[in-house]
Amino acid sequence: MKKGIFLKLLIPFLAVVFLVGFSTAVVAKQIRIGGLNDTTGATSDVGKDYAIGMADAFKYINSQGGVNGTKIKYTWFDYGYRIPEAITKYKLLKRLGNIAIMGWGTGDTEALSPTVNKDKLPYVSASYSAHLTDPKKTPYKLFFSSDYSTNARAAITAWFDKKWPKKKDYGKRKPRFAACYMFASPYGSAPIKAIKDQAKLLGFEIGPDQDVSLFAIDTKSQVMGLKKFKPDVVWHGNTTMSVAATVRDAYALGLGADWIINNWGFDENLPRLAGEAAEGVMGATPCAFFGQNYKNMDLVVSSAQLYSPGIPVGKRLIRTVQAWGDALLIWEAMKRADKKGVDLTKKGCGPGIMKEGFETMRNFDIGLGASPISFTPTDHRPTTGCLIQEWKGGKFVEVERVDLKKRWPKLWATKWLGW
Amino acid sequence: MKKKLAFMMVLIFGLSVALMSCVTIKVKPTAANLKNPVIKLESFEVPQYDGYWYISNKVKPTKGKADNRGAPLPLSFLFSVKNPNAYPILLEGFTFTVAFDKDFDLVTLNNNDSYWIPAGKTTHVRATTMITTRSGLLSLLVTGGFKLKERKWSPWDALERWWKGVPEASVPVTVKEGSFAFSANGVTKVIAFEATYP
Repeated sequence: MKKGIFLKLLIPFLAVVFLVGFSTAVVAKQIRIGGLNDTTGATSDVGKDYAIGMADAFKYINSQGGVNGTKIKYTWFDYGYRIPEAITKYKLLKRLGNIAIMGWGTGDTEALSPTVNKDKLPYVSASYSAHLTDPKKTPYKLFFSSDYSTNARAAITAWFDKKWPKKKDYGKRKPRFAACYMFASPYGSAPIKAIKDQAKLLGFEIGPDQDVSLFAIDTKSQVMGLKKFKPDVVWHGNTTMSVAATVRDAYALGLGADWIINNWGFDENLPRLAGEAAEGVMGATPCAFFGQNYKNMDLVVSSAQLYSPGIPVGKRLIRTVQAWGDALLIWEAMKRADKKGVDLTKKGCGPGIMKEGFETMRNFDIGLGASPISFTPTDHRPTTGCLIQEWKGGKFVEVERVDLKKRWPKLWATKWLGW
Repeated sequence: MKKKLAFMMVLIFGLSVALMSCVTIKVKPTAANLKNPVIKLESFEVPQYDGYWYISNKVKPTKGKADNRGAPLPLSFLFSVKNPNAYPILLEGFTFTVAFDKDFDLVTLNNNDSYWIPAGKTTHVRATTMITTRSGLLSLLVTGGFKLKERKWSPWDALERWWKGVPEASVPVTVKEGSFAFSANGVTKVIAFEATYP
């Protein structure tokens, strides 16, 4: 009787074991990461290349075994730089069980900041505002790049070091500095206080700011405004199209000043749009341009060819490289956290990724021409400096890699965090 | 009894192998034998049309909050995907950009869904997205400013032309920079795609 029952139970059990053992339908565990991008809206000129670069990067990461053998399911949406849609899509990604979000700009990052803090979800985005680097306020916001204020301080310092000594008035008077940016844009205005502080520190005379719309294609009135002050160097804090328009107009009207530009206005499209006016323009490059000869760039280029064959490689931008910077950053954080036993396949692992992943990084090198990355529980400024490059003779060339912490250690440690 | 048990186990094992062999592919996919799937843009349509209009945030709406809002223009693309292989393949997702008048990129669409395509069969995949005159305006101002200047068009000229012409197929709609990702048993292949309608 007992044997009969045993057999009746054993046979179906064995059948199930055999079938499950042979089945390919067994679902493997995945790490879910969500993405919010702008491929339609006001920042799509740079957002599209970033979005596609990010998707390429996660495909490459999966081809390398994902996170210590667990594959990543990367799901991304275009939110068109519309904040209500960013919030809706964020909630959807959260419902889908994503454990981290690869976000995009200042709009979504700032709007979602309180929710992200509450949800304890790492939010790696391409908004590099220094206001987002103080973990007391935004403990889950991360990026690989130098922040905008570091970019700005580094750019004016590089100009002061390398260009000003070659000017005929060097040693005779103070250098003159002015800034162009869209006053109403959080991105444009974010580093203005910092660059003026740096200008003061270096002994510049500071002129009036010029309001240039992100959509401007005619900036003659602003250039005329600049001419009254006769600046030696002008900071442009906008994105590529309006930067190109201003540089072109300044060239045509004979402004005679040098240009230093924030990273979103300085890319491969600038010389295409500005032509010969782009010669000598300098800019902050938190990573190298697409295809430049730096460590890991071969992976970026080969993945672009393999995973996005419909887009000619000649059309890819530094934005792809920036996306890789953020993807490699979260990959490393997840690998570290996973090794420490954080279960990345389950919701609620955000604090674990922060503590055992991101915040264990000290001078981590992702290659790509980026500066070494560190995060501590009290300081989320990823890097202490930035590489400044110049468009010269038909190519981008290095001017100087400025390390602010090395030059001004006390100010870096005590004064400059969070703005 | 022991003989009966052993016989039953062998029988179950044999049956399991036989059953699985029914679903196991006959030709093993490799990078060398994976032929390119054939993708075609079969049709394009505007599934719902609401005309051409734009309301700025200076206009008080009857209900809700004032904002810059534009007429929606849903865009629906039907692709056929033929699998010429002797084994099933998985379409893992695709990305493409939609351009009007060939030069003006309006939206990049990403589809995360997966579709199995049986050996030798053709399947149809529909991709639908939506733009508005607001999103179109922003996109144009940021990416298309210099191109508009070359054609001597204002952004509003372009938007009106497209919102009236695209539904009637009098403005060419281009699917460009397309990447369709396929896999079969761990072998992956990404196919480039471009087409213009009509």
